[in-house]
Amino acid sequence: MSHISTITFLLLWPFLGAIVIALLPRDFRLAIRAVALASTLFSLLLAIKVFLQFDASLLAPQFVQKVLWVEAIGISYHVGVDGLNVGLILMGAIVAFAAACVSSEIETRHKEYYFLLLVMIGGILGAFASLDLFFFYFFHELALIPTFIMIGLWGKGENRIYATYKITIYLSIGALLALIGLIALYLHAGGTTFDMIALTKQLSDSPLAPESQHLIFPLLLFGFGILVSLWPFHTWAPLGYAAAPTATAMLHAGVLKKFGLYGLIRIAIPMMPEAAHSWMHVLAFLCLGNILFCGFVAMRQKDLLLLIGNSSVAHMGFAFLGIASLNLIGITGAILVMIAHGLLAALTFALAGYLYRQTHTLRMDQIKGLLPQIPFVGTVSIMALLAGCGLPGFANFVGEVTVFFGAWKQYPFVTALSVWGALVIGGVYMLRAIRTIFHGPANEGFNKMTDAVNPLTRLPYLLLLGSLLCFGFFPRLLSDKIKPAADAVAKLAAVARESSQPIESTEATVTASSKIASSVPTSKQ
Amino acid sequence: MVLFLPLLAAIGIVVFAQRNRDVSAALSIGAIVAGFLLTILFVAINGWHPITGQVTALWFAVGDLRIEFGVRLDPLSLLMLLVVTGVGGAIHIYSRGYMREDPNAGRFFASLSLFTFSMLGIVLSSGFMQMFIFWELVGVSSYLLIGFWYERPSAADASKKAFLTNRLGDFGFLLGILMVWASLGSLDFQTLESAVHANPDALGALATCAGLLIFCGAVGKSAQFPLHVWLPDAMEGPTPVSALIHAATMVAAGVYMLCRVFFLLNAPALEVIAWIGGFTSLLAAVIAIQQNDIKRILAYSTLSQLGYMVMAVGLHGTTPAMYHLTTHASFKALLFLGAGSVICALHHEQDIWKMGGLKKRMPTTYWTFLLGTLALCGIPPFSGFFSKDEILTQAFHHNPVLFGIAVLVAMLTAFYMFRLIFVAFRGTARSEASAHAHESPGIMTSPLVFLSIPTVFAGFWGIEGLFAGHGEIGMAHSPESLIGHLFSPFSHAPASAFAGIGAAGFGIMAAWRLYQDASADPIPEMIGRLSSVIRNRFYFDEIYGKLIACSHDALAQFSDSVDRWVIGGLLVKGIHGTTDLAGRALRLLQTGNIQTYALLFAIGVAGLLYFMLGNP
Repeated sequence: MSHISTITFLLLWPFLGAIVIALLPRDFRLAIRAVALASTLFSLLLAIKVFLQFDASLLAPQFVQKVLWVEAIGISYHVGVDGLNVGLILMGAIVAFAAACVSSEIETRHKEYYFLLLVMIGGILGAFASLDLFFFYFFHELALIPTFIMIGLWGKGENRIYATYKITIYLSIGALLALIGLIALYLHAGGTTFDMIALTKQLSDSPLAPESQHLIFPLLLFGFGILVSLWPFHTWAPLGYAAAPTATAMLHAGVLKKFGLYGLIRIAIPMMPEAAHSWMHVLAFLCLGNILFCGFVAMRQKDLLLLIGNSSVAHMGFAFLGIASLNLIGITGAILVMIAHGLLAALTFALAGYLYRQTHTLRMDQIKGLLPQIPFVGTVSIMALLAGCGLPGFANFVGEVTVFFGAWKQYPFVTALSVWGALVIGGVYMLRAIRTIFHGPANEGFNKMTDAVNPLTRLPYLLLLGSLLCFGFFPRLLSDKIKPAADAVAKLAAVARESSQPIESTEATVTASSKIASSVPTSKQ
Repeated sequence: MVLFLPLLAAIGIVVFAQRNRDVSAALSIGAIVAGFLLTILFVAINGWHPITGQVTALWFAVGDLRIEFGVRLDPLSLLMLLVVTGVGGAIHIYSRGYMREDPNAGRFFASLSLFTFSMLGIVLSSGFMQMFIFWELVGVSSYLLIGFWYERPSAADASKKAFLTNRLGDFGFLLGILMVWASLGSLDFQTLESAVHANPDALGALATCAGLLIFCGAVGKSAQFPLHVWLPDAMEGPTPVSALIHAATMVAAGVYMLCRVFFLLNAPALEVIAWIGGFTSLLAAVIAIQQNDIKRILAYSTLSQLGYMVMAVGLHGTTPAMYHLTTHASFKALLFLGAGSVICALHHEQDIWKMGGLKKRMPTTYWTFLLGTLALCGIPPFSGFFSKDEILTQAFHHNPVLFGIAVLVAMLTAFYMFRLIFVAFRGTARSEASAHAHESPGIMTSPLVFLSIPTVFAGFWGIEGLFAGHGEIGMAHSPESLIGHLFSPFSHAPASAFAGIGAAGFGIMAAWRLYQDASADPIPEMIGRLSSVIRNRFYFDEIYGKLIACSHDALAQFSDSVDRWVIGGLLVKGIHGTTDLAGRALRLLQTGNIQTYALLFAIGVAGLLYFMLGNP
């Protein structure tokens, strides 16, 4: 323990903040809020530092710290960053700070709220920074539980209780499936270590038997899939986000949800590449469910929150499509989509939260023509909605286009439909929202809106919008860092593809190919 | 440099000068005029074929995917650069006068500069992806400008429609790009061109498909049939916007793009392109005959002329297409600005039957408008005659049917334009407003005069030499050759030249006979019901509305109900037993007691671990 990694400090700040808040008297509202802001700001600054100092030319994880914890079963506290998570951690820290900023909307039980918020933030950052399976999962659960409580206690709308149950049950089941899968993976790999780096290396040298791969992979795929609202397990998401307090929706939709995708890229694919190949067809078709089906659903929504909730589910489809392509371009694209969508989802939920506080409804048949009254929030919202339909200049465009290029060769048909979903369906619902809420003549009864004029109030929106634009204009800031790690994952997958040629050549139906895949022994065995 | 000036202006306006109209106008105008002068300077120093033809910088790269941003300078892009900055500059100056009373002029000029930036981005782009990015940006700036008066429902709807229709085209465009990239492995125009030249079958069986998909982009942006419906509605934007974006530059981007990627288009694809162009030009010309809104008449005329250009590309005539694009940009911008001047003078009255007798009251506007009309109708020696004649010649040599259509369209063009002239400017005033109209101020009339110079004289220059390779705009060197050039259409291809003039003359005569002293439109009586069908634009909007309602919206409705009742309802409620039970259990934990939760969680993990460790 001679030196402590920056990453550890980064994780420590939110937890420290949580402890300080727990110790502070309940009446010190200003102090509580100041602690929350300060601790997230410190995390953000450290995340920026890590991002800037990260050296893309090294393949090994950087800023590593490893402390052995339970030697008997190989659990250690192991954190570090590589190309896969460096951008995600930065994004998480940005969103966390923005979420702390917009939390001024909370009017009751400040102490508990900020405590949970900081625990959630710490858990989120920890989950993405962990290189140990146990802590990876533990931090995720640590972030998930405050989510449920916050929706239940500080949520909004009539559906709050129902939504809380629904999101709790869905996510618990998803997490449980993933947990079973992870434990099974650990055991089948020999049960000696929870360390991801060691596991990946071990499993690429001596892959798991196809039978066990085909047993475990679906557990992880659907477990993680449920956490990311993979179609048709997505119905918790729009409802849950509509009911959640603003900061919770921002953090969950923006960052925590990406945990599942990250798990697929970090664990499931590199450790079980052969099973991944046979299951990716399934994923490619399910992601159409996200992109097209949820896009269509979003078109029909009357409530802005449900609309952006559904559109957020639809956007996850692009990340799934990138993963399903299993090549360098697709995986890089998927990570770009994850980061871009994280920032965008946080921005849209923050804006929707602001509007809701002003209007107390987000039904689009009631609020109309708001732009002249709230030029700042209106303009930022319009930009955010345009970013949501994939406008160049915002980071989302880069991610989506990269995914399309990556997936085109494997799945031309699916990609063509996804392009339709991105350009046309996305355009339709986003522009309809702009048209009804911001354009047109104003509606009676909503003429006492106040715009965000205070620079501090504007800060979170500008921060998120600025990062979207920054990565949209200079995508190489991200892609150059992601590329080497994504390449490593893609290469592992490619090796497996060569060794399992018989599976690839069988262009039968999806189920048939997966059945065959499970029966054909690979040449490596 | 030219490219980034407008962007800087746009950012500058947004950040500093949103409230100050004068500063924002000055920034915006300054940027584009400087761009124009720089372009002229560049051409003067380096000629039309600069040595550094292409400069690129890597923007994004992953694996095989390399997206480069660059500047490609060749005659095609330099010519287009001159058009955009020259015509655009005149329109920017005019806007200063037109928008002088609008409180949001700052936002207007910011969007205008954003548009100029994106348009120049398209013009200079060196690769497909860069073009697509700016293509989208042009779409969004057009969206912002059409919807400038967003409080008017019609403007807000029109902007939405324009954006979405363009998105349909972009859908095909992006698929085409993906297809080209997948087969040829590059997105750079230069690399692609040499690859196709080295091996004409490089695209294989996909060639036609890819070509047509890319053409989809042009169909959207240049408003060709069947995606033409957005352009007339786009007239809801301020008139300078209609002139700049929806007449001179943006809509021409489709034609420009086709010329740029011409090497990718094979014979079957070109055939389709030619027919779509021809059909659009005829359809729009017919509709224009029965429109009464001055801007809509011009909008349909733009559609029709764009159809001409697209047809020319389809008939292997990129040079005539670009020539017509250039001349059309100046005279159509002139016509729109003239219309804007009239609209301003009549306090935003756009119905031509409420005008009349404007010739005396607004002489500058009238005479420049007349020059523009003559050029549009293809009357020698105005510029439109030469460019139109080249297209007609092209059609005459390649496809007699399309030649017939083109001549017919020329006749219709002359007819509806002179209908407009006779009704709006001649005769007597038909309303209070038109009786008291005044000429517009100098800041609006001077761009009219400036634009009428190329309108009249651009025909003498010709651009064939530019593309033939020796790099001089063909400004005749001696008086004899100038005259020779003037009469060359008659000596080269007399049939098409005389057919064009004859058609135009016939159209003018017909308009003169029908509308010289008309107080109401006589056509509805002559052709009855057909007239209302034409007036309602062949019900395209209604048909599309129905079509979308029973396809896209129905799918959405279906998905929504499936989502709500099947996935959300049946499946979830089907396991409601467990849900309810778990829910009740959870309610106990909902007290916020975190210790209990953490404890339960730890027990759960421990139990699972024990279970799994015990039975491996």
